[in-house]
Amino acid sequence: MSNITQPGGDEAEFAKPLYTPIKRRSFFMYAGATAGATALLLTGCDDDDDNVTTNNGTVSLGSGDVGVLNYAYALEQLEAAFYAQVIATPYSGITTDERAALTAISKHEAIHRDFFKAALTAAAPGQIIPGLNPDFSKVNFTDRNSVLTTARTFEDLGVAAYNGAGSLIKTNDYLLIAGKIVSVEARHAAYIRDLLTPGSFSGSDVVNAQGLDQALTVAQVLTAAQPFIKETLNGDNVGK
Amino acid sequence: MDFLNILARLADLSADTEAGAAPRRTALARLGQAGATLLPAAVAVLPRPAAAGVQDNSTVLDVLRLALTLEYLESEFYAQALALPNAAAFFGSAANRNAIQTIAVHESQHVALLQRLLTEAGATVPSKPSFDFTGSKNGTQTALFPDIFTNFDTFLKVAQLLEDVGIRAYKGQVEFLQLDSLLLGTLLRLHSTEGRHAAHIRTMRRQRGAAVKSWVNPTDAAITTTGSVPGQAYAGESNTAQYTPAPRLIPFDTTLPINVGTPALSKEALLAKVAEAFDEPINAATATELAQLFIY
Repeated sequence: MSNITQPGGDEAEFAKPLYTPIKRRSFFMYAGATAGATALLLTGCDDDDDNVTTNNGTVSLGSGDVGVLNYAYALEQLEAAFYAQVIATPYSGITTDERAALTAISKHEAIHRDFFKAALTAAAPGQIIPGLNPDFSKVNFTDRNSVLTTARTFEDLGVAAYNGAGSLIKTNDYLLIAGKIVSVEARHAAYIRDLLTPGSFSGSDVVNAQGLDQALTVAQVLTAAQPFIKETLNGDNVGK
Repeated sequence: MDFLNILARLADLSADTEAGAAPRRTALARLGQAGATLLPAAVAVLPRPAAAGVQDNSTVLDVLRLALTLEYLESEFYAQALALPNAAAFFGSAANRNAIQTIAVHESQHVALLQRLLTEAGATVPSKPSFDFTGSKNGTQTALFPDIFTNFDTFLKVAQLLEDVGIRAYKGQVEFLQLDSLLLGTLLRLHSTEGRHAAHIRTMRRQRGAAVKSWVNPTDAAITTTGSVPGQAYAGESNTAQYTPAPRLIPFDTTLPINVGTPALSKEALLAKVAEAFDEPINAATATELAQLFIY
């Protein structure tokens, strides 16, 4: 999918603390305007690192547990940005209860997003993916059905993503955190689904005949999420 | 870090073995024994504040047995309600009955799945215990919920308690399944199904006037008494201390610049949202003690 490969050497060069989060952010702002001919290798500080970002808008989530953290960070960024817009421009006919619940959900997602940013800052400050630019052009934020249908997609996708990523996580603490978050996402999903269709909280489109909720691979999740993100995400090495 | 690498290698080893000729039954049985020796080491190498996680030394088979006990409990609870002679009047509406029916089907599917996993692991499947959902231990003590099957609101309270406890119990067990990615994935998927159930039960209660949100939060109207055995269902749920490895505390309340939108929240309001944003685990002993409220 990507034409970016990880060259074998020069990792030490990139492991220097040059790329602090702030410098890294400003670097991204200029990267788009730079006519660089080669892939920009931004990070690298351990033996399984291959986090690569190019100037054509492709973002690699990286490998190993850091890759899983970036994967979760990307999805939480998407959810947080979506609900922030929902709250900023509420749909027609939103009820007091709906507004209160959607506001709470928007805060949960912002907390999840910033949790992962902090976790990545602690674990691998040079490998944090940038702030992503959402593409909500297909969402009609004035229309209840459009907003809630999109919310349902994101919440069900989030649940399936965490369920699928659990076995990719190598470090117990991260696994526990994923468990703490996924059930809250499942609560969100059920709430949103009931708003759209009462009683559809665990419909047969998400819970199978063994009573198992969905689990999706990184590739499946990114395929579903990609239309809502301007950058191209590469999760080929997440968990590897 | 060395220890984590060893764990990772063990996980790879296990995957290799399973991909090969060894039948899954053998692999599971082996893991069930291995867990007992591996996990205390994990606890010793990674000390951390008690609030950060659950520490016991369950084996994979222990995890499956605990999960089956909890699923027996939930499954029987809903089945008894659906079998009431006056079920239509008890539920009050077709929507209520249909929702409970949906959940009941999932719980019985979970029972069947866990029974199968235990059988495939070569283990004896524990039989279904005797349940008394009034909490009177078959009339031998004062009932905790005497109107459980005559008052739909009481029924929903206990349903919420069972679902929230189920979620917390699964969460406390996932770390013991890290070496078996298939089992881990399966229990995570059971776990999030319970999350959906809990949210819906809470929505039903809210629609009937209870001050409760679809997610656990400090302002929910209490359905248990702090300090009692039932109170353990929610003890610790307001935790706001979340850790990443080392362990490192994520400084939600001090330095972390969380942008939760406009207007910005006070520190107290932010921490209340942090408490909501993470469901907390309980360990096997607590889950068992809670289940025992309804077992005689």
